[in-house]
Amino acid sequence: MQQTPARGDVTIGILALQGAFAEHQVMLQKLSLRKRMAIVLVRTQEDLARCDALIIPGGESTTIALLARLAGLLGPLRDFVKAKPVWGTCAGAILLAQTIEGAKKGGQELLSGVSVNITRNGWGSQVESFEAPLEVEGLRDSNRPFQGVFIRAPVVLSLCPSPDDPPIQIISRISTGLLPSSQTLVSPDEDDTDPRDPRTIVALRQGLHLLTTFHPELTKDDRFHEFFVKECVLPTLA
Amino acid sequence: MRGEPPSTSLQLPPNTMSTPAQTPGSTPPVPHGVGNPSGTPVMAPTRSAHPKEGGSSSLGTFGVKSGLAQMLKGGVIMDVINAEQARIAEEAGACAVMALERVPADIRANGGVARMSDPHMIKEIVNAVTIPVMAKVRIGHFVEAQILQSVGIDYIDESEVLSPADDEHHINKHAFKIPFVCGARNLGEALRRISEGAAFIRTKGEAGTGNVVEAVRHQRAVMSEIRKASVMSEEELYAYAKDIQAPFHLLKETARLKRLPVVNFAAGGIATPADAALMMQLGCDGVFVGSGIFHSGDPAKRARAIVQAVTHYNNPKILAEISENLGPAMVGLTIDDNLKGGRLATRGW
Repeated sequence: MQQTPARGDVTIGILALQGAFAEHQVMLQKLSLRKRMAIVLVRTQEDLARCDALIIPGGESTTIALLARLAGLLGPLRDFVKAKPVWGTCAGAILLAQTIEGAKKGGQELLSGVSVNITRNGWGSQVESFEAPLEVEGLRDSNRPFQGVFIRAPVVLSLCPSPDDPPIQIISRISTGLLPSSQTLVSPDEDDTDPRDPRTIVALRQGLHLLTTFHPELTKDDRFHEFFVKECVLPTLA
Repeated sequence: MRGEPPSTSLQLPPNTMSTPAQTPGSTPPVPHGVGNPSGTPVMAPTRSAHPKEGGSSSLGTFGVKSGLAQMLKGGVIMDVINAEQARIAEEAGACAVMALERVPADIRANGGVARMSDPHMIKEIVNAVTIPVMAKVRIGHFVEAQILQSVGIDYIDESEVLSPADDEHHINKHAFKIPFVCGARNLGEALRRISEGAAFIRTKGEAGTGNVVEAVRHQRAVMSEIRKASVMSEEELYAYAKDIQAPFHLLKETARLKRLPVVNFAAGGIATPADAALMMQLGCDGVFVGSGIFHSGDPAKRARAIVQAVTHYNNPKILAEISENLGPAMVGLTIDDNLKGGRLATRGW
């Protein structure tokens, strides 16, 4: 798609190879910021080179990774992740993870920006897809729950930062009482108050990056997009 | 109650689809609009349930049903008949596979009654791949749908490619937790399916022909009717709803959005990367390819090229590169009254 957005103070890219990228675009367009923001749908290396930050949308991680490789974007994306803020939602979170379980046969390519091990499709098939209210630290108006939309969602299995990595900050956990009863990953008898259990983590930050296993772009609530731009992106430009 | 009832009251009944839950300071709706000629995303409503006091979770909401379709946008869904083909499709970048016993071209050639596939074969495909798996049920056959829901697949296609089981009624799709995709030839048909609970629409095209002309006709019909409706006054919309036999509230919503209120893919006769890009430029959000892949000379290569074509549908230079040396495409059929197997698109109403 040829687009020539007005030059802004900040340029945010959305990886537009496959998946729900248009939803992110509209959410970003709704934000009211003091800075002018340009939005680029990234399909080529030239598109990526213009961006100060990137959102990797939901979709199929295997498809997005293949299209990235065929478009010659895999290397440039890995370099980008090392230097600039990136937010991955759902499939994007899988691509940002360091290691994954449940990869397709023969494995699949990752960008490895965040030190977590994630399992794809952790709660079950589409019949186990669900919505649940989340308490999220650091959002505007944080007393109001954020509606988490989990669609064949990935699950964080472990945090594995090495001593040199930036610390991981947990932004939101889901209460095990809200998980679908048919899921088998976490048994209902388990102590869901254990703060060390990573499987209930649904949003986290490490360094420049933000990772959510659910889909803020499928709601009408723009607080996560505002959080990413204000907390993760703008400070890097100052 | 035909299907397994949804677990909570948060699922939106059909008559509230045009008024999504309001949250304070809510932003307007979320777009689909991948294949949108103007390049700007077109809005479609968000249907996630809004947070409830006290907090509980909910399965099978219209939000997660239409949400999965939104995740498939910009992708290619491929017909496969066994685990081996499913793996080829996954490796080629399919965003989902459609499990069926015979591809439409073979259903057309062999004749007879075409039914839901063997659940064992579907399970083998589910186990072979990590991407979403869809399967077809006959129009109106809600028990086949109950069976597929219990098998644990991700989407059901209530499809005219199989022999209809009911010549008057489609399945009440609201009664299921699993989402449904349905075919449509025009706006009225699409909105009737959405009103029955379909969370995803595709053109019918003419399956198993390798001839894209009917898919183009159906997509152009839908787009043209939406354009007409979008400039109508409310009085005219009431009359138009009667004309096209569509529920008024869905027609009004469509007119406001200037697009279908759910994701819309192309299907039926797509055989080349250029066909796929054509459908995307005509405003589709993604593409189903049935017989076109595994009835061609080099399925893996052609599948990959069609996946790339859907991403780069507006870039003729890339389209030229990926269209090179794909080997023979499937043999196409002329669609006329002598068409072997008849016109499948006329099934359903």
